[in-house]
Amino acid sequence: MTENEASIIKLIEELLERMDKAEGVTVTLDARLHGEDGLGLDSLDTAELSATLEDELGSDPFAEGLMPETVAEIVAFYDAKESVSA
Amino acid sequence: MSTAPRTVIITGGSRGLGAGIVQSFLDSGDRVASCSRSETDQTRKWAEEFPDRFFFMEADIADRPQCTAFVKEVLARWKSVDILVNNAGVARDGIHALFSDEDTDTVIDLNLKATFHISKQIVRNMLAHGGGSIVNISSITGLTGYRGLAVYGASKAGLDGFTRALAREVGSRKITVNSIASGYLRTEMSHGLDEDQLNQIVRRTPAGRLGEPDDIARAVQFLVDEKNNWITGQTIVIDGGLTC
Repeated sequence: MTENEASIIKLIEELLERMDKAEGVTVTLDARLHGEDGLGLDSLDTAELSATLEDELGSDPFAEGLMPETVAEIVAFYDAKESVSA
Repeated sequence: MSTAPRTVIITGGSRGLGAGIVQSFLDSGDRVASCSRSETDQTRKWAEEFPDRFFFMEADIADRPQCTAFVKEVLARWKSVDILVNNAGVARDGIHALFSDEDTDTVIDLNLKATFHISKQIVRNMLAHGGGSIVNISSITGLTGYRGLAVYGASKAGLDGFTRALAREVGSRKITVNSIASGYLRTEMSHGLDEDQLNQIVRRTPAGRLGEPDDIARAVQFLVDEKNNWITGQTIVIDGGLTC
């Protein structure tokens, strides 16, 4: 698992814990953010995820107009940023 | 007194009501950040007296990049914001049939659009940090209407509507949002009213006087007190009884 993958999965796990939504949920790269077959985030949860990502990582895909559907798509956003700045 | 200092942003804190609210939070031991288009003797004095817990930046928050730069600067210093007081506002008076488009834009750009913009940024910070309080400084002219203040009154009614909707959105995240409909204050800009109009207001006010900034600042302190977190989405009228 890459550093970005590990840190974003950890951030989402902590967020779900804070929201009392962690029980019975496993955060994987393939996990969908929304819906009952995914992490079950509603719109306010998504806003909280967006704000937390920006707070921790300095930018976030939602604020830049992207709408990632899975954990992997969030990771891809930060991977792409790094490859641009590298 | 609060146990730990809270971080408070008060927009338009260089004079008038805003300065009264800044003074109140400095008195309660909190960290205060404020901005206006230009500094004043008062803001310079606070910066000297409280170098560690008063921050002032010249910024026109109706200009989004300037507003964003101000918020970034505050967060770089203090990481998170506990309280936002949306006080910055402008009044332009005049019969609506003769009102200029420029005046309409000036009032709406600051009183509403700037408030929406800074509130969005601060709500995001509050979501990431587990809660907070927002107080919007509104006006009784948004509730009753006042001849010559149609656009200003509409902007304040809009602020009250914004207050209710935002309170519903973020209530579950320990964020309260309220507005204070202020009556007429004895500040240097009593919203374009002349002396005759102010005397007439005093005669019609049960409390028999105009308001002081501290009358409003005490209500702000009440609304942002953590113990009062069951009060949200409300517009509290503080006007000496004028509209009762």
